[in-house]
Amino acid sequence: MLKVENLTKVYPGGTVALKDLSFEVSDGEFLVIIGLSGSGKSTLLRCINRLIDPTEGKVILDGIDVTASKGAELRHIRRKIGMIFQHFNLVKRSTVLTNVLNGRLGYLNPWTTTLGIFPGEEKKRAMDALKRLGIDDKVDSRADALSGGQQQRVGIARTLMQEPTLILADEPVASLDPVLAHSIMQYLERLNKEDKVTIVCSLHYLDLIQRYATRVIGLKDGIKVFEGLPSEINREKFKEIYGEEAQDVRATALE
Amino acid sequence: MTDKKYFPKTLSILLSIILPGLGQVFQRKYRSGFSFFIAFSTSFAVTLWYGKPVWFIIPVVIWAWNIWDVISLPKGKSLVIPLLLWLIMAYGIGGQVTEFDLKSLITNASRSKDMVAQMFKLDFVQPRAEKMEGYVDIQSPCSDFPPAADNESDGTRVYVVQTCANVGEVITVKGEGFWPNQLTTFYWQNPIGGKGMATEATSDASGNVTLEWKVLSIVHTTAPDPTIPQIHRIKVSQSRPIGGLELSAVGGYIVQGIYETLALAFLSTIIGAIFAIPFGFLAARNLMTANPVSAIIYLLVRSALNIVRSIEALIMAIIFVIIVGLGPFPGMIALTIHTTAALGKLYSEVIEGIDPGPIEAIKATGSNWLQVARYAVIPQIIPAFTALTIYRWDINVRSSTIIGFVGGGGIGFFLWQWIVLQDFRAVGSAFVAIAVVVVILDFFSAKIRERLV
Amino acid sequence: MQRYIPFLKALRKLLITLVLVVLIILSIRVTEPDLVKLVSSFPKAESIMGQLLRPVFFDRESEKVTVSQVVPVPCDSVPVPTSADSGSRIVLDPPCGSPKDVINLRGFDLPQNAEISLRWILPDGGLLSIKNIKTDDDGEINMPLEIRPITSAIDGKAAQISFEVTLPNGKLVVAKTLKDVINAMFVTIFMALIATTIGTIIAIPLSFLAASNITRKGKLGTVVYYLVRAFLNIIRSYEPLVLATIFAMIVGFGSPFAGVIALSVTTAASLGKMFSEAVESIDTGPIEAITATGANRVQVVMYAVVPQIIPDFLSFTIYHWDINVRISTIIGFVGGGGIGYLLSQRINTLQYSQAGTALLAIILVVWALDFLSSEIRKSLV
Repeated sequence: MLKVENLTKVYPGGTVALKDLSFEVSDGEFLVIIGLSGSGKSTLLRCINRLIDPTEGKVILDGIDVTASKGAELRHIRRKIGMIFQHFNLVKRSTVLTNVLNGRLGYLNPWTTTLGIFPGEEKKRAMDALKRLGIDDKVDSRADALSGGQQQRVGIARTLMQEPTLILADEPVASLDPVLAHSIMQYLERLNKEDKVTIVCSLHYLDLIQRYATRVIGLKDGIKVFEGLPSEINREKFKEIYGEEAQDVRATALE
Repeated sequence: MTDKKYFPKTLSILLSIILPGLGQVFQRKYRSGFSFFIAFSTSFAVTLWYGKPVWFIIPVVIWAWNIWDVISLPKGKSLVIPLLLWLIMAYGIGGQVTEFDLKSLITNASRSKDMVAQMFKLDFVQPRAEKMEGYVDIQSPCSDFPPAADNESDGTRVYVVQTCANVGEVITVKGEGFWPNQLTTFYWQNPIGGKGMATEATSDASGNVTLEWKVLSIVHTTAPDPTIPQIHRIKVSQSRPIGGLELSAVGGYIVQGIYETLALAFLSTIIGAIFAIPFGFLAARNLMTANPVSAIIYLLVRSALNIVRSIEALIMAIIFVIIVGLGPFPGMIALTIHTTAALGKLYSEVIEGIDPGPIEAIKATGSNWLQVARYAVIPQIIPAFTALTIYRWDINVRSSTIIGFVGGGGIGFFLWQWIVLQDFRAVGSAFVAIAVVVVILDFFSAKIRERLV
Repeated sequence: MQRYIPFLKALRKLLITLVLVVLIILSIRVTEPDLVKLVSSFPKAESIMGQLLRPVFFDRESEKVTVSQVVPVPCDSVPVPTSADSGSRIVLDPPCGSPKDVINLRGFDLPQNAEISLRWILPDGGLLSIKNIKTDDDGEINMPLEIRPITSAIDGKAAQISFEVTLPNGKLVVAKTLKDVINAMFVTIFMALIATTIGTIIAIPLSFLAASNITRKGKLGTVVYYLVRAFLNIIRSYEPLVLATIFAMIVGFGSPFAGVIALSVTTAASLGKMFSEAVESIDTGPIEAITATGANRVQVVMYAVVPQIIPDFLSFTIYHWDINVRISTIIGFVGGGGIGYLLSQRINTLQYSQAGTALLAIILVVWALDFLSSEIRKSLV
């Protein structure tokens, strides 16, 4: 469903974040991208939904060239791509309900939503999404009153509102402790298995990779250095991707 | 929990009828209760004060809404309508009270255009020039025996052929011994020194100048009785550039005023900061609430600081001008007092916010209180104190530009006179000077504060 | 080089101290502090402060009372009247007389140290003033009175000796000053309210233009950013009072409107600066997240930017209302209305007790608003 061709991104100032990157993702996959921070994972994910414009190359989603679209067309593509962030990116002073409803903005009348009016069925849909993630009791709380794990679940609920066919998850568990990390990953897994949503996710922990991924891509300095099954990643490969100096990271990541 | 029990609703409704908001409070809706009380009492007070009966609709509607709110508790009613009503009242009455009239800005547009145009013709410097001057005293209107109008001074001679002047007549003013071929200005100065009229003529090759001058009635406007003959003076003056620029009269005053303003601000900041230090300690809650005596001192000092802070320095300046007379000194006293109060409050907040950790650590090493103060407290407060003092110096520079309005010295003293005399060129120049000085000081103080934090 | 660092540091400290000392000396020379004068003017200060600290709230209602006493001239012309025993009264000794006699006149229970105008009411109704006399500390007068021939009784009607005094009757009424102060205070608060509102409305678009993360993009954006920022800084460098005088010259002195415009302009400038800082410090995460859902630009601003800045904007605005009330207490000095105008008038006419009432009102209102605004701001964060 997703095809990335020769993607290159050079930031103003000359930093090369991605270099001639190509890969394909088919329906229902759980693709995990690994690599050091600064290896281009976030840039890659943001190039897919065009939060960042790539310098060269193409992103093709379900046969539509994402890189060539703009305006309303781009927004229509975006609303089918959910995104989950490391720092949750919730509007902290808005309520949980508003934050979840925000996920529906691309579908709704821009005028009424500008006035802060959401249709009743959307509110019901938001409640359903929160129920599914087990935080419907927090619906009227302010987002910053929630714990990290709860905030990320609100983030996922927001994504559910988009009825996505593809979810991009940018280190969704890097700000959470390991127990919460598993619970968040399980929600993603259920979306992947039950709703048949394709997932492209960047991760750090080897055990999480081996537990959830169907396929893995390794990035180093913007170049693809590995592509294969999670079982193919052993200590050697991990060291290769993360570099010699990353001994500590590797050790803890392998625990 | 027993306190979850709700108060009987009918009683709440009754309470809210008597005093808006009270019923809500008894139903534990503190927020809406307080809002209703404030909205009702303020709108009632304002309409009562304003006195026009139509406006009483608003507190009445708010009162009714409040009852409806209590009846529909625990859900309550939206507060939007009362808020809207309150705003309508506030801006409706407020607009009338403050004589809000945007039209007056437009109807006076031509006046303001002239004014602003003048303000942009800055008057700081003028070309350096040398002067050649002469004068003659002349009687006006003519008495039976007018004194001769003929005067020699500094090598020039000025005389009037007719010896005296009646309004409406044409007199012939002659000057001798002036620079040749030079534009010459003639001023009519009335007996109290005001300029009556002015005109120009050009001298001939031998330095003589002649002017046929019609005497206008304005030369007598200041006389109590224009029929009594009085001695007026005609001044004849030439000026020619000698190259270079010098400060104009206005420019000189501006330089003096700015200098005074800066000195005022500087001195009052320094003295105020010194006085503020003990007050800051006395008004710090964490130091002073240990025993009842110091707690009372704390309360007294804190209230005193709050009271003094709420009186603008300008108001104090008027009082000190009356007590010690005009000049920068009363302005300085007023600014110093205000600075002391304001900085005292800020310093006390700094002291309240210090980290007790280092104090504990230094105490644990067996130090006495002086050592604790020197090594645990002072290092923590010095940067904040300095930053606050510099911030205050900024404010004081601004304040001292207006303290002169009431006679307290600085640029404001000149500015106020120019405004009253409608000398807009000077006003514009003072404005530019103030902006330049304040913006530059702002910039530097921001830089210094950045480095301190 | 390392060795010199402590030395250089000490040198720097010395230099800073030296500069400070020089500045202080220069400043003292310009401002001419005159401590002798300050001490010598202490009695004056004491009397002014004494009056300021005794603000007027209530007046004792008073009424004019005419005190009179019939004087038979000569003694047998009319029956000699008895004088009253209490209240303001005149007692003559002897109670009657012939022309050219000098009798003793005493007055009792009069206001203390009051000036009274003593006069004859002649039998034909005409008035003849005698003299002005001041009552003593006990409220009494005592003076010789020469009886003139013109005061002789005509047709059984005798002349009276009479004067008017103002006597407090004990009823307390709200002082006129207090009413004036309340009126002026309302005007002042409304001036601040309206100026804050207008200032805020102008400040909002300005703040977005002066926020580097919104405007400083591309050449045009950078130019606009610097222009708006410079404009805000220049306006902010003027005290509202200075601007008020300028607007007063345009719309006319004596109207609170000039003060309202001046305050609006300065409020717009300083709120514009504060708002722009709030806009600059917003979290970009939510913007990214909401853009990623396919929302359009307006929706992104409404749902990612506005919820983040609203509490700050509200809090700054309320804070500024508080400041504006404080400033508008002085803006009346240059001819706008409000409490400042009243205060300067009372001070200029040396009515310090009444100025004290105005000062007290200022302190109370500023204090109350200070408290209220800080409470509201606390609940906003």
